[in-house]
Amino acid sequence: MIQLAWLIPVFPLVGFLITSLGGKKLPKSISGTLASTMVLASFIVSLITFIQFNGQPVTIDLFDWISSGSLSIPFSFMIDQLSLIMLLIITGVGFLIHVYSIGYMHGDEGFSRFFSYLNLFIFFMLLLVMGSNYIVMFTGWEGVGLCSYLLIGFWFKNPEYNKAANKAFIMNRIGDLGFLLGIILIYITFGTTSFNIIFPSAGAFPNNQPVIIAITMLLFIGAMGKSAQIPLYTWLPDAMAGPTPVSALIHAATMVTAGIYMVIRSNVLYSLAPATLSVITVIGAATAIFSAAIAITQTDIKKVLAYSTVSQLGYMFVALGVGAYSTALFHVTTHAFFKALLFLAAGSVIHAMSGEQDIRKMGALKKKLPITYFVFLIGTLAIIGCPPLAGFFSKDEILAKVYVQNKAIFGVLVITTLMTSIYMLRLFFLTFFGSFRGTHDQEHHLHESPKSMTIPLVILAVLSAIGGFMGLPEVFSEHHSFNSFLEPLLTFPSSFIHEEMSHSLEWSLMIASTIVLVIIFFITRKAYTSSKGVPALHENDLSYLAKASYNKFYIDELYNFIIVRPLHIISEVFYKIVDSRMIDGLVNSVNKTVVASSRTLRMVQTGNVGFYIFAMVFGIIAILLFNLVL
Amino acid sequence: MNTLLVLAGIGVFGLFSEIFRFKKALLPVVFLGLAAALVTTVCDWNTNVSYFNNMMKVDNFSLAFSAVMICITMLWFIISPGFFTDETSKSDHFTLILFALTGGVLMSSFNNMVMLFLGIEILSISMYILAGSNKKSLASNEAAFKYFLMGSFATGFLLFGIALIYGATGSFDIDVIATRLSEGNLNSSVMLFAGILLTMIAMAFKVSAAPFHFWAPDVYQGAPTVITAFMSTVVKTAAVAAFFRLFIHTFTSMTEVWHTALMIISAATILVGNITAVYQTNVKRMLAYSSIAHAGYMLMAIVSMNSAAPSALLFYVIAYSVSSIASFTILLMVSNSTGNDSIESFYGLGKKNPFLAIMTLISMLSLAGIPPTAGFFAKYYIFIAAMENHMMPLVLIAVLGSLIGVYYYFRVIIAMFRDGNEKEIDFSGRYKLVMIIAGILALALGVAPGIVTGLL
Repeated sequence: MIQLAWLIPVFPLVGFLITSLGGKKLPKSISGTLASTMVLASFIVSLITFIQFNGQPVTIDLFDWISSGSLSIPFSFMIDQLSLIMLLIITGVGFLIHVYSIGYMHGDEGFSRFFSYLNLFIFFMLLLVMGSNYIVMFTGWEGVGLCSYLLIGFWFKNPEYNKAANKAFIMNRIGDLGFLLGIILIYITFGTTSFNIIFPSAGAFPNNQPVIIAITMLLFIGAMGKSAQIPLYTWLPDAMAGPTPVSALIHAATMVTAGIYMVIRSNVLYSLAPATLSVITVIGAATAIFSAAIAITQTDIKKVLAYSTVSQLGYMFVALGVGAYSTALFHVTTHAFFKALLFLAAGSVIHAMSGEQDIRKMGALKKKLPITYFVFLIGTLAIIGCPPLAGFFSKDEILAKVYVQNKAIFGVLVITTLMTSIYMLRLFFLTFFGSFRGTHDQEHHLHESPKSMTIPLVILAVLSAIGGFMGLPEVFSEHHSFNSFLEPLLTFPSSFIHEEMSHSLEWSLMIASTIVLVIIFFITRKAYTSSKGVPALHENDLSYLAKASYNKFYIDELYNFIIVRPLHIISEVFYKIVDSRMIDGLVNSVNKTVVASSRTLRMVQTGNVGFYIFAMVFGIIAILLFNLVL
Repeated sequence: MNTLLVLAGIGVFGLFSEIFRFKKALLPVVFLGLAAALVTTVCDWNTNVSYFNNMMKVDNFSLAFSAVMICITMLWFIISPGFFTDETSKSDHFTLILFALTGGVLMSSFNNMVMLFLGIEILSISMYILAGSNKKSLASNEAAFKYFLMGSFATGFLLFGIALIYGATGSFDIDVIATRLSEGNLNSSVMLFAGILLTMIAMAFKVSAAPFHFWAPDVYQGAPTVITAFMSTVVKTAAVAAFFRLFIHTFTSMTEVWHTALMIISAATILVGNITAVYQTNVKRMLAYSSIAHAGYMLMAIVSMNSAAPSALLFYVIAYSVSSIASFTILLMVSNSTGNDSIESFYGLGKKNPFLAIMTLISMLSLAGIPPTAGFFAKYYIFIAAMENHMMPLVLIAVLGSLIGVYYYFRVIIAMFRDGNEKEIDFSGRYKLVMIIAGILALALGVAPGIVTGLL
């Protein structure tokens, strides 16, 4: 049965082909249902595979993909603990978001197109996590990038959205180049790209070997792009231009975690390069606190969530950096639940508010949108780490692991956690409490979303609530089921401290964080339910620091100034001098030469058999003379 | 061996059907027969048996090429019923095609010079007649006559070459000849050299390599389009397979005689084919020049002479035949409804029939050798094989040729997306079927070339 796992990516591919080729001929009811069913089928097969999995990684060889000289790349899949967890997240959360989209995208003229992209995305994402070598993984990696681009620019009539799509694509390309170079270096070093040959043979390398550091750094550059880390994070907030289900699926739950997945997949290499791990820790921590600082003043409901995603991804990278690979994946899993939930709930709010995304114009939505309010509450509590919801366990575990390795980074993360609570509760209270600040029309139209949207929300809320129990810390139970499931795949950097946090310390950490959380809850409630707490509509009214944060610390402007503008100037020069004068001239003259010689050569074809035979005989004599006389 | 019997059998059945008037059953029987021939071919895989006192040897090389020819012939039969209903004495034509295929199979599995000669002649004589099968058309008659005249001229050289080689080695059996040649110390070396060169010239004529290609454009353009499709796919495959088998198997120890000459021929063919195609405004004639250029690439596999060459050649032949048959199918459709083969008849196709336009796009990209189509990997493997034999100048010329190729293949693509020509295209299901099969194959091989490269 496990051998049938190749079916998992086939279903969404079929869905994509039907919905895209069928195009406008397909009735809406069919394309949405079909796309969702295909993902459900993948989920079921993944689940069966998961149940039948016996702990031994299985490789499924489909066919020889490329073979040329010593290069041989099989198209094969790998089913192991890591890919199974990712499969369940992608197909499970993916299915819920598909169902949600049926309601959310209802009435959009690109309905079938939307579902075809969504199915294509699922297909590539599955390739990414199932591939048994870096090339198949890279194929999926590029594919999800393409789908992300297509979906961010889904409403392509808006030029701003197209710019956002381009930005995402270009930023990702920078990372992808690093990834590609990393793969090439892996091939040069190991002579193959297959995981099950590279990792066993990597053991022969000593710690911090330059080539391993180079490989891991290059791969990490790829991860930076895809998983939105400093300095390549600015695309993710802009990516919110896409429809909200896309933000939930691609820019929160699945695609952006591909970088984490890739590092965990290559953990054998990373454990050999503690230097790279330190870089990852620092970048992760910096990203976490920096984007949390931006999130605190944002006023667009999706932007807050987007910066929160960047910040949470930073957390995961810190976990990777301290060698806590399974903890990072645990946070990927819980984050997929609660962040998908938050985005979809935000989508439900936006849907109700007739497209309004500014929280300054919301407020008092609690009564009108009871289900959305309730699930948003669960999501918020989960992300800020309120026990016993999902985020509490995964976040606490990251903090515990970091504390053992690096106290300074621990401090940064604790501050970030406080900021997370502040901006999430701010968002929550501003949206659902206080007084309604929108227009009269909007108030009149307020309505709870249809069932196809609320049911996925409720399911995700349940998962966000109980999802943490699959990784109960050892303080509570003998057995950390999530970590021990993943254990066979993972290594630990030998130079790191081998020690667990003492139980008493862990207890006090948990209790302290809970108490702080309760305090923050009441402070923010007081601050943001009153009308004074609503952020000013004009940024000039903000304080100096808040203004900087509101403007995202002017990073986009900085990039514009130091990279984009010089590039424009250089390209202008190249266009005017090199391209127009030199290259065009060269190309045109080549073209003229070819056409002229074609005209001449054509004349030889006279149609006269006598001449043909003469030419043949001439050729024959030339060949004979050439060989026999010379 | 069984393949040969089955093919000859249905050929003879075709002849009888004319006499006993059960023509309607003919097409299904031919399909069944071809399917049976394909099955017997596949069943013989990895057997390596020789027949008739070592006159014929069925090995994986011959089986792979036979299978390709049979498959392409099946596709060809799907698009060609119109040809058989429009003309008189159609069952003769069925038979001739099947005999040509039989000759082709023989050419890919010969182990004796006599068998090679027989195969070539069975194939060629059928093709001479088929080229002139449109009796009312002056162009078709001219094509047949030119083809016959020049073909028999080349056959003379082949026979002469075989005789000289026999004189020098005392055998027709290519295994024996190969051993004699590798032992050396043959007293009549001039006779042998001349023999090898003359066979090479004759084979170069059959694959339409420069400067023996002059017949090809005239014949391809004059013959009915379906026959041109058959000539540029199955016939070319057979000729190239025979060329490869003869020179790689038999004359490897005599490379100093033929290698440089063939390399020059290959380069000249690529350049002449591609450059002349640029100026053509008639798509059928353009495809004829394109097929000359492709013959040049196929010759590169022969001059590479290494272990990568057979599978590179097989891949190339498949990629080329598949895209070629698709291009001729579209040409057939377009010319049926507009009445001519000019590039103008493709105007407006993209708007009228996007599906057809996409399939054309795929086959043109594949012929030009652009990923993700089969044509890209076809060229890639050929170039790799040539580079392993350190033939950088030839590879550079070949790349240059491909660049020129883009020029005229893209002209068809651009024409499709231009305005004009509102006339509807007659678009029957069987054309659609062939285009879909060919399109899928061209894409599948371009995405996963490993399916074929592992075979040989």
